[in-house]
Amino acid sequence: MDLSDNEMIICRCEEVTYGELKNTAETYNCSARELKLRTRAGMGYCGGRTCRSMVDSIAHSSTERDVTQVTLKYQPPIRPVSFGSLGEITK
Amino acid sequence: MTSRIINHPVLDKVDDTDIVTFTYNNAEIHGLRNESLAAALLANNIRTLRVHEESGTPRGIYCNIGHCFECRVTVNGLQGVRACLTPVQEGMTVSSGEKFLTPVKDWRSNNE
Amino acid sequence: MNRVIVIGAGPAGLSAAITIAESGYEVLILDEYMLAGGRLLGQLYEEENGKWWNGIKESKNLHDKAIALGIEIRLGTPVSNIEKTDGSWVIYTDEETYYTHHLLLATGAAEVPLPIPGWTLPGVMSVGAAQVMTNVHRVKPGNRGVIIGVNVLSSAIAMELKLADIDVACITLPKKNQVNKESGNPMDVMNSLLHVSHMAPSAFVKFGSKLMKNEFMKKMGITFFPKSGVKMWDIPIMLRKAVINIYGENTVEGVTIATINASGEVIEGTEENISADFVCIAGGLYPLAELAAVAGCPFYYIEELGGYVPLHNERMETVLDGLYVAGNITGVEGAKVAISQGVTAGLAIANNLSGGKQEVEIKEAIKRIEHTRDNAFIQFHPAVKEGKQKLQQYWEEYGQQAKVEVTI
Repeated sequence: MDLSDNEMIICRCEEVTYGELKNTAETYNCSARELKLRTRAGMGYCGGRTCRSMVDSIAHSSTERDVTQVTLKYQPPIRPVSFGSLGEITK
Repeated sequence: MTSRIINHPVLDKVDDTDIVTFTYNNAEIHGLRNESLAAALLANNIRTLRVHEESGTPRGIYCNIGHCFECRVTVNGLQGVRACLTPVQEGMTVSSGEKFLTPVKDWRSNNE
Repeated sequence: MNRVIVIGAGPAGLSAAITIAESGYEVLILDEYMLAGGRLLGQLYEEENGKWWNGIKESKNLHDKAIALGIEIRLGTPVSNIEKTDGSWVIYTDEETYYTHHLLLATGAAEVPLPIPGWTLPGVMSVGAAQVMTNVHRVKPGNRGVIIGVNVLSSAIAMELKLADIDVACITLPKKNQVNKESGNPMDVMNSLLHVSHMAPSAFVKFGSKLMKNEFMKKMGITFFPKSGVKMWDIPIMLRKAVINIYGENTVEGVTIATINASGEVIEGTEENISADFVCIAGGLYPLAELAAVAGCPFYYIEELGGYVPLHNERMETVLDGLYVAGNITGVEGAKVAISQGVTAGLAIANNLSGGKQEVEIKEAIKRIEHTRDNAFIQFHPAVKEGKQKLQQYWEEYGQQAKVEVTI
């Protein structure tokens, strides 16, 4: 395996690459949140715990950071919950 | 080959006598009671714990403390269990995560 | 309902719970890991006095003390959400839902990755993962590893791997890109290393601290930094090499490194392969504050503290009634600071429960945090004190705004 930087994975859960994120950030000059929604980076199984800082820094190479706002919003549940336990069905 | 660190220059010696047997993808594996499933598998030289559901690329532990969910396996029929947080028990049935039959990501390139 | 709930059984959470229980209140601790201790479990280093800081022993002491005080600790219990309903905090876990008036978040920190082509291969792990595997589970992460990222955490863990007789081929930089800029820039790395030179014995210190008195000499230091690296604990630290690729069929077989110039650009034609069966990624830590975020705490980005931190005061109270924070969620620092923050949070909670009987102790505990910070052996960010001052300023500004809103 010999990958170029553009093929390098940033979001491991959704397999979103560096190239894909960089191009999207450049094309739409978008916020971290928009970058996430456009690419699905940070929307996988781990909830973005692993890649959020990287998605954030790719977005902030073209847009200004607001230090008073979390750029990538956290939403519950912060750990995967099965439909069974959501509906409180006992196993 | 990876192996256990039984003796350590600073830390206490490991008690490696309380052995349990479990299965991983139908193969019989020995581990130490209550150690993490990820540790028991690594001690048996097993690094790949699942493949990515769509691309099929192999994955193993990454963060080892429950944050990244890369080590998720199926334990006694329950999917999405983190091997790094699960204590090994006698008779456990463990299987690795597999590739999905139908890709669901194709819409992206087709519908831009 | 009178029971206090603590999320996180690391040094901060355990110390807080012990303090609360000692004041006579009931406490429940929840943690998703299988052992109590959090990141403290993996720590192992020799202090200036020659004594070993043994994270497993320290964790066990805290755990045993908590149990002796009748504190209930539920391990293997991930919290998926918290919210405030009818004046009390509701804590959701897979099995049960808990309620409390006083909730402490001591969820610690998560690791920042440095992406490298091939970093999803089995055998590539965060440096903290290798630490836990080695010191806590006592299974070798591999026989020969390469550590990517030169910083306090990675050099400390490299030494721990060495202690366990695991070969570390080298500690080196990641190839520079938009994501890991500073970690990939030799000058920035050299600057940050100068603050931890006291940790490095012999050659590295001499090489570093003598040469690096001024910017010109630093630049010279990087330019003439030996390509083969400078050895620390017999491990080459290579500031003029970067990993450009991790290769292997189904697991790690090695890394490709290349020589980089003083600003981190790869010099073509210098690529070479280093064989290894594991690779550690060491990008540092950031406060893991997701529960504070879903609860609705205001956040501020403070680089010196490692990222976004929930707004809180010196007593570890957030702006939300009955919600407290302690430990690395408030900024990345060592375990001893986390313990003193936990004690402070515990006192603040007990004080609120008792109607203000512990004011004197709280003031002392706040001073003790400062003292612990000033005497810390490991400092993750050299300017952590300034970071804390920024936060205090944000707290005061926020209080002013709140008052204005009330008067209007």
